[in-house]
Amino acid sequence: MQKKGAISYVINAAIFILLEVAALNMLRYGGRMQNLWLSKGFHAVMATVWGGTQDIAHYFSLKKTNDELALENTILRARLAQLESVVADSLIMSRQPDMAGNFRYIPATIAKISNNSEHNYIIIDKGSDDGIHQGSGLITWTGAIGIVDAVGRKYSYARSFKNHDMSISTRIGKEGPVGPMTWDGHSSNGAVLREIPHHVEFSPGDTVYTSGFSSIFPAGIPLGTIGESRIVNGATYDIKIRLFEDFKSVRYITVVENTGKDEIEELENR
Amino acid sequence: MKTEQNFWLLYFLLVIAQSVISNYFQFSPYSVISILPAMVMCIPLQTGTSVCMIIAFASGLGIDFLSEGVTGLNAAAVLPVALTRKQLIRSFLGEDIIARQDSFSFQKNGASKVMLAMSTAVMIFLVIYIILDGAGTRPLWFNAARFGISMAVNVLLAAIITRVLTTDDRR
Repeated sequence: MQKKGAISYVINAAIFILLEVAALNMLRYGGRMQNLWLSKGFHAVMATVWGGTQDIAHYFSLKKTNDELALENTILRARLAQLESVVADSLIMSRQPDMAGNFRYIPATIAKISNNSEHNYIIIDKGSDDGIHQGSGLITWTGAIGIVDAVGRKYSYARSFKNHDMSISTRIGKEGPVGPMTWDGHSSNGAVLREIPHHVEFSPGDTVYTSGFSSIFPAGIPLGTIGESRIVNGATYDIKIRLFEDFKSVRYITVVENTGKDEIEELENR
Repeated sequence: MKTEQNFWLLYFLLVIAQSVISNYFQFSPYSVISILPAMVMCIPLQTGTSVCMIIAFASGLGIDFLSEGVTGLNAAAVLPVALTRKQLIRSFLGEDIIARQDSFSFQKNGASKVMLAMSTAVMIFLVIYIILDGAGTRPLWFNAARFGISMAVNVLLAAIITRVLTTDDRR
């Protein structure tokens, strides 16, 4: 009896749903307002139903998702280990000077600098513990600013370019004549390029680079631009150079060391 | 059996009457005049719910086709009345009448109980009818006013229809 009643309920419910849906469908196509409204309602219901079924589907696919995530975790762990290894290697490398050609580069910070005397100096925060050697050059991306004279464990003392007895071998342009450049003796960004043959053509504004002929500085570092010039003794030019680097504001420098310097000097001494 | 035959004839005539009402007696947008829920409630209890729903659906659809309204509106509104008809009668008039598949009337069951069942049926019908007819475009206060006024009118009409259609009260 109970079973019969349950079946009756189910049949009644089914007929009700069928007829109601039919009526609503007719209503939907019968009236424009009803069409819009019911369509909106149907879409909302469909979205809810589909969203719900999607949630259910997701729930039952959790194991698969879990397995996929576990696999992904394993792969990521492996990649992390690889990267850690690479990073560790690079950290070890960073303790070593950067090598490029015959030159080794070590970043350093100026601890103290003098600019106002005839014999200026620079003290940097790197010493023998960091691989600094006497005779290494100090450069920035826009200038050669000194040469290391004495090395302590943690600090090094360098002669600034702003010294009368200091000269750097330079070249006008990338392939022009070569001559020594010295500080002009009074300004913070002035220098003089000497011994340029008088037949050589150059123009104010041309850039002067390190020649690379010394064993201290690598070639091609831009130093400054050509200014006024004058002929000395009827044979060579003295050319005023406006340096790119302002010694009053420089703070971060790079120590550059020619790894073949000893060999070159040995050859020179023979 | 006379009464049974008379009932369906009367029922058919009332469907026609409702079509006429829908076409010519809609005086205000605030009122919905419908005798359909009362008609469905008065369908003899020997008639099962499924059949009752089909009859109600056909009646509503017939009225929709014959009147100027939107097709499916009366059919959709009256179907829940047909579905809940027996539950309403059971709730307000007692289990016995369902078990015996007896007819109900003002005299046998008392006017108040019968009218409570009828009012509930009318209420179900009106709520669905007004919501579907408004299609979300009418403000709540309008629907509420429409419901209140229609309820008053239709409960009165339901009393008349009950008196006309229920067996014992027919002369």
